[in-house]
This record gives sequence, structure tokens and C-alpha cells, in this order.
Amino acid sequence: MTEVWIAGAGMTRFGKRQESLPDLVAEAARAALGAAQLEAPEAIVVAAMNPEEFIGEGNFASQVATHMGYAHVPALRVETATSSGGAAVYVGFAAVAAGLHRSVLVVGGEKMTHLPTPRVSELIGRSIDPHERSYGATMPALAGLITRALIARTGVTLKEISQVAVKNHANGARNPYAHFQEPVSLDAVLESRVVADPLRLYHCCPISDGAAALVLTADPGSVRIAGIGQGTDTLAVRYRGSLVSFRATQEAARAAYRRAGFGPERVEVAEVHDAFAPFELIALEDLGLVPPGKAGRATLAGETALDGRLPINPSGGLKARGHPLAATGIAQIVEVFWQLMGEAGGRQVPARVGLAHSIGGLATNNWVTLLERVR
Amino acid sequence: MTDLIPASKCPRCGRVVAPPIPFCPDHPAAMEPVSIDGYGEVVSFTTLHSPPAGFRSPLHLALVALDGGARLFCHGAETKGIRVGSRVAVEEVGQVYYFSHLGVLDRARLFWRRAGDRGETVAAIVKSAVKRVWRRGGDQDT
Ligand SMILES: [Zn+2]
Repeated sequence: MTEVWIAGAGMTRFGKRQESLPDLVAEAARAALGAAQLEAPEAIVVAAMNPEEFIGEGNFASQVATHMGYAHVPALRVETATSSGGAAVYVGFAAVAAGLHRSVLVVGGEKMTHLPTPRVSELIGRSIDPHERSYGATMPALAGLITRALIARTGVTLKEISQVAVKNHANGARNPYAHFQEPVSLDAVLESRVVADPLRLYHCCPISDGAAALVLTADPGSVRIAGIGQGTDTLAVRYRGSLVSFRATQEAARAAYRRAGFGPERVEVAEVHDAFAPFELIALEDLGLVPPGKAGRATLAGETALDGRLPINPSGGLKARGHPLAATGIAQIVEVFWQLMGEAGGRQVPARVGLAHSIGGLATNNWVTLLERVR
Repeated sequence: MTDLIPASKCPRCGRVVAPPIPFCPDHPAAMEPVSIDGYGEVVSFTTLHSPPAGFRSPLHLALVALDGGARLFCHGAETKGIRVGSRVAVEEVGQVYYFSHLGVLDRARLFWRRAGDRGETVAAIVKSAVKRVWRRGGDQDT
């Protein structure tokens, strides 16, 4: 199998953007190709969760390729709900690793802020089991159930959960690409409006527009994709034995670590899928980065802060960087790449090995990617 | 007797799910129909103050682990006194499952019924109490 390297990374600022989705995708792609000093990739993998409904566009890989002047370059689209970006990186990785292409542009984006919030929630909610949806289950509702179970079963406190949001906002304040670039206080999080009891507004990521891109290549560079893994679980949450850990994360991590030949002990920085603040605590334990039952205390003690033992979500995470669905899984890897290259500006942490973790749906289709700087 | 809830059981792994489905989520095996008692334990619950279109606010939602093995999403009239681990009765009203709290008295009755007591009147009392709560809730979501 050919070793796969990251030759360049780029992204748009996330947030409320006026540009069209093809324009945002092109902006991110040009930044990544420019950084890689590549005029044209041999293939393009596009991630978009639902352009049909969000912007009324279909055949999106061809549209994006044509829009960027790459109509002659083979392009396809990949989708695994909110982790579509992670899936696209996997497909690009597989194509280079298999020797099918020497260079692949992986680019993902979503445009959502032009729609009313209930409509956006409904579209995202379609990744939930239809029966559970018929009971009014939305992503925040399921996250509310998980939060309450987490508090009852593991002893995690609402304060510890809220500290995740405080930390990630503090990191986002140092990231010029972030949707939110202002810190929030613990009191502000704890006093924000209840969305799905006990989950509050500031525990939830925003609705954002944006795009992110990577150039993957077979030509040896500085940072390699050491491992990448997929994990899955039932669409229906009621079929699962536990609400307080995600099998899809555990299996994705196991597959990624196995491929990399090392475990969580070598990870020095991570971007994890904090669509809801408690998900970051669950992820830390499912990924083996923190011992079971310790994620809340470690967060409150500052271990996962920018200057802590193991910085988590230096970009600000989904909470502060924003969450333009299919852009997110790629943006996480963009951030880890920049961190390993020493290009993360005011949020730089020292690291040679980093991890990115992306959740699709309510943890039905998750991805874990490991990057290693080797020279 | 209390309402029985239609469910499915996997002949290979023994997993029980409700409502019934044709295949086990983890095995390509045809499920066998089973019926399970409408009693169980609250796994978790939440209240939505801005529920999706078509649902009345506030929307009380619970995930209940039935004694028969399946977990079920249920609506409720309120969550007062409900905790993770609370014993509840689950009943279908108008094709929607509802949970309601089993008080100390109800649990004692249930225990004696399970212990071999004929208990039909007791079950009927529990059931009618549940129904009363739901009827009082009026027409639920559409
Ligand atoms: Zn089975």
C-alpha cells in the first residue's frame, strides 16, 4: 500500500457567508492546491451532506469540478451525514493508497444559514431513525437524552460539560477561520436557554456556512496519514445498549490505531466532534485519550486546554469554529495538519501526532484519522 | 392483564426490539414476533420547549428499557418525579406509546401480581390510572 501524505490544506472562514456553496468550495480548494503548489489534481472527492435540500443543487461533484475549471478531472461525491468530510478523506486516502491516483483533492462544504433554523434542524434530523423522528426526536433531543444519561450514569456534572464550551470558545477566539471568535463565561453557558433539558443553547454548535479542502498525494512530504478508520452503529438509538459511549467512535479509533501501528498514548493534539458539548467528553474516553470516567474532571482541570497536557479542539471545535456539516470532517484534519506543521498561529501547540474524530448522524457512521509529522 | 407490546426477537443473538422489524440490526436474520409487558425503567428523558412542527410544546420524551428487553421511545404528560432508573408503565394510546410513573403502591401491586397473585383487578387499576393520565393529556401530536 502506498503511503499517503498531505501536500496542502485550506479552508474558508466559517460562519454566515454570502457566497454560493460552489464559490466557498472553490475558495477552500484553491487555498489547498496553492499550498500544495499543484495546478490540477488527478481526481476530486467532494463531500456535501445535502446540497439537494439546502441549496437545491444536485450532481454536485460535476458542478463543483466544472465551477473550478476541472471538468476534465474525475470527480465523485461522498456522503455519511454529518461526517461526510471524514468519509471523503477516506475515499481520497484509499485512491492514493491503492495507487489509482498520485494526487487527490478532497473538498467539502455546506451552505445552511440562508434557511430558517427549524428547516435546518429538520434537514439535519433526517439522519435520525424514522420511527424515533415520528416521536419528535431531533438531534438536540437525542443529545439531551444522552446528556441526562451521562450525568446520571457517570457522575459528570453540568459544570464540567459547560467547561467544554468555555474552552472551545476561548480557542475559537484565537482562530481567524472560526465562526465565533469571542470567549464565553461559564455562567453564560449555564444560564443560556434550555434547548433539550438538561442541554442548553451554548452546549450546541451553531449553524454555519463554509468549506475545507486537503490535497492528498503519494509524493512523500512532512505529514502522513498514519491511520484512518470507520466505525458504525445502528441508525436507531433505541437499539443500542448504552447512551453514554459511542460504539462507532470506539470501532473507528480501533481501526485507525491498528493501521497506524500506535495507540492513543502518542496523540498530542486532537480535534473531536463536539456538536454538543457532552460529546467531547464521551469522545475523549471512547478514543482512549482519557481514562474512563475522567473526561469531565480533566476538562475542568484544564488538561484539554490550549496550554494543557492534551489540547483538544485548538481550532474551537464545532462549537466555536462552526459546523458546516460536510466541511467539518475535513476542517478538523486541516487544523491538525496546520498544528503539526507549526502553522496554527496564535493557537499553536507543540505536537507531532494528531487525531481527528468526526461523528455522522447520531454516531451511526464515525471516522477517526491519525496524522503524523515524520520530517 | 396489562397491554402487551408487539416486538421482534432475533433467533441468533436474542436481541429484542420494538416496534417489530423484519431483520436484526446486527444479523441478516429474520426476526421472530414476540409480545412483551409494558413495564420498564427510564433510560433517559428530556423536554423540548421548541419541538419540531406538528408536536405540542412542551414535548416530554423518554427512552424506556422494557423488562422484556426492548427499548422504546415514549411520550409523557410530564416528567415530574421521573428520574433515570424510575419504574414506569408504557401504554399505547392512538398508536403512540406513553410512559407514566409507577408509584410505590403500583410497584407493590405489580410485585404481588408477579409473585403469583391473580392480580387482574390490580393490573386493571394500574392500567386505568395510566389511561386517565393520557386522556387528560388530550389529543397529542399529529
Ligand atoms: Zn441478531
